[in-house]
Amino acid sequence: MQPDTTSAVPIDPCKHCGTGAPVDVHFCPRCDRILTLGRHGDYFTFFGLRRRLRLDLKDLEQRFRALSRLFHPDYFHNATPTERLASLERSSYLNDAFRTLRDPMGRLEYLLKLEGFTPKESRDATTKVPQGLLEEVFELNEQLEAIQDLRAEGASASELALRLHAARQPIEANLARHEEQLDALMAAHDARLEADDTDGRREALTAMRTLLLERTYLMNLLATVRREAGAGEAAAS
Amino acid sequence: MSKVVGIDLGTTNSLVAFANGGRPVVIADESGDTLLPSIVSLDGAGTVYVGREAQRRLLTDASHTVYSVKRFMGRGIEDVKDEERWFPFKVSGEPGGVVHLHLGERELTPPEISAFILRELKRRAEAHFAREGDFDPEVAAAVITVPAYFNDAQRTATRDAGRLAGLEVLRIINEPTAACLAYGLDKRRDGVVAVYDLGGGTFDISILRIDAGVFQVLATNGDTHLGGDDIDRLLVEMVAADLGLDPATQADAVQAVRKAVIQAKWDLSEFDEAHIDVAGVPGRAEPYRRRITRAEFESLIAPIVGRTLEPCRRALRDARLGASQVDEAVLVGGSTRIPLVRREVERLFGRKPHTDLNPDEVVAIGAAVQADILVSGRREMLLLDVTPLSLGIETMGGIVSKIILRNSTIPASGSEMFTTFVDNQTAVDIHILQGEREMASDNRSLGRFKLRGIPPMPAGLPRIQVRFQIDANGILSVSAHELRTGIAQTIEVKPSYGLTDEEVERMLIESFEHAQEDVEARMLIEVRNEADTIIGATEKTLRRPDFAEIAASRLTPGEVALIEAALADLKQSMGAADRNVIQVKTAALNQATQHLAEVMMNWTVQAALAGRTADDVAARGR
Repeated sequence: MQPDTTSAVPIDPCKHCGTGAPVDVHFCPRCDRILTLGRHGDYFTFFGLRRRLRLDLKDLEQRFRALSRLFHPDYFHNATPTERLASLERSSYLNDAFRTLRDPMGRLEYLLKLEGFTPKESRDATTKVPQGLLEEVFELNEQLEAIQDLRAEGASASELALRLHAARQPIEANLARHEEQLDALMAAHDARLEADDTDGRREALTAMRTLLLERTYLMNLLATVRREAGAGEAAAS
Repeated sequence: MSKVVGIDLGTTNSLVAFANGGRPVVIADESGDTLLPSIVSLDGAGTVYVGREAQRRLLTDASHTVYSVKRFMGRGIEDVKDEERWFPFKVSGEPGGVVHLHLGERELTPPEISAFILRELKRRAEAHFAREGDFDPEVAAAVITVPAYFNDAQRTATRDAGRLAGLEVLRIINEPTAACLAYGLDKRRDGVVAVYDLGGGTFDISILRIDAGVFQVLATNGDTHLGGDDIDRLLVEMVAADLGLDPATQADAVQAVRKAVIQAKWDLSEFDEAHIDVAGVPGRAEPYRRRITRAEFESLIAPIVGRTLEPCRRALRDARLGASQVDEAVLVGGSTRIPLVRREVERLFGRKPHTDLNPDEVVAIGAAVQADILVSGRREMLLLDVTPLSLGIETMGGIVSKIILRNSTIPASGSEMFTTFVDNQTAVDIHILQGEREMASDNRSLGRFKLRGIPPMPAGLPRIQVRFQIDANGILSVSAHELRTGIAQTIEVKPSYGLTDEEVERMLIESFEHAQEDVEARMLIEVRNEADTIIGATEKTLRRPDFAEIAASRLTPGEVALIEAALADLKQSMGAADRNVIQVKTAALNQATQHLAEVMMNWTVQAALAGRTADDVAARGR
């Protein structure tokens, strides 16, 4: 399997014998000792995978177990301190990588970051309303205000629940649409990757970044509705 | 090469096991006992007793005797307030600091008490290897188990206890995971396993996937303050109310009650009813006796058993599995002998739990297997465990920012960027927490770290990367780098509920000063242990609901009276300082019960052949 890294493979020397080794290699090609993590590639190359968004989870799990068996600290108990540290760092990195790549959304977020698609200020991403959702947010805020007024006037619990449900529905539908679109774009991205179509890939990533930001925002909106419902319950009890 | 053993440092009992490439074995003491009661007692002369002798002293010198010390490991005084009054010893400590247990004039911390237990296990293992004719019987290192839900402070306290006992702690592993390792070794079958571990003081649930020798924990949950002790306390409170006992002034009597209710609790796992018998209650002429049926017992303890179910559901949720996707449920810990516990586990997972492994020994066996993996470097098996609680730091407004999420496979790492608020600021305070709640004050404080040596710069300019590393023991370490200058910062740790390294060093020196092996005293203790074993076995037989039936049909007239006389005689002599006296009386009881032992053996065999269960036998006896 050919990892999808840039053409110039950086070299990191083995602490034991000084032999240079590509960063995505786990053991020294000459003395076979576990290499310190040092500079490294990324989660995908660590697993020997291309930067695909649709991964076979069974295969990923198998790679995870196989690599665990290679560097777990249990097996370096009698090794030198350098090797022990390398085993600890490599195992930690492996565990973090597996946790990230196993989850499709975590995987997407990670890839966007890797390809330089993170917004300049991450704070903006969560506080500023995405353009495509402005209308939806105004609508929801109005409804929530109306619900709060109704509650203050002593409306029945069943009426409030009905209103909350109505407020939630368009957001949930929109969220489902976003996930569908993301799914399609992920497939498109992987196809472009296979075809070595760099421009097409970036186009897909750009579209996914926008969708992902909106999705995060929609999830936060849903959380707001849930809090409102929770407040109602707390007030009722 | 010196030996590496596996140790189960339990709330009620502790065990030591050893595996050397082959089948792991639990190491017994000189009288064949594998369980070491986790009880420590100090007499006026400063002699330390551990195990069964300490258990006996609980009835005669309760205020100098500590049991269930595990419940205090890594805890603060505010955590143990509710139960403190039922313990015979005094407890003190600063809020947010280490608890101190008072044994007469001496004040000891929980790791020091635990170290006495570990030292006894080390001695037991070394004596065993010496008996086997081993050239190098020394035990210098161990794998020690802890409840999966133990936090960082509780794990660190356990590691400190090992150091104080003169053991290098090669690894801390989780009890349910150790049990699963022993179980998997036994069954060699792949699939999803739920380990339900209800011990003396702690409850754990772990969901694991076994796949071709890799034991991967998917999720864990639990309660480090829930176990058989809580059941005992309910029963003690019930009887103490009957008797009007005051725990503050009648510690010895409370311990006599505790012993009696534990006996009744055990009996109720076998029979439909039992008696709580307390002899010699101060201020009472006749012995106390109260009948308790299994139904009464179950309604009394139902809330405690119920508290174990929500953690199970949460663990399943975190593992993203439904109860029906669990292939096997395995029971660990003495409290899983209780029929109600078994029924509830069966109901939750929809399948009969495995009970064919000894729930007392399985954890120690797993620890020995792990010790063998570490020493040999053999790669057939691998444990991948998780951190039970999320790790975070306190940010502005007392909110927790999570850095490593719960149920992350360990080793795990995370990092966070910090900067300064004032020009030329050279230090930053960081408060580290463990738990799932949003507010810092609702979580467990692990410690406050002071980051020093930041190069003087205008405010906001330094970029300090703080790296949090949880190792394979589930224990945290922290390092920091200022990224603009590449300068490493020193970190000063003030553990919230732990000992500093200097304190551990000082205790280590003190413990050497106090160490004195009294061979004569030890031999007396061994004789007493043997006597206790036969007393226990005889009393258990006499208490059987069907004993009258057995005696009438199988024993000769007057035989029971003879046995009872020999039993009373031995019990009377237990306090004797001359071990020969006890030995003679033990032999006498042994002889008096020889025929009875044969009768009981035949009775059990016949009952088994007739296809009757113990319950049927018990029912007929009434």
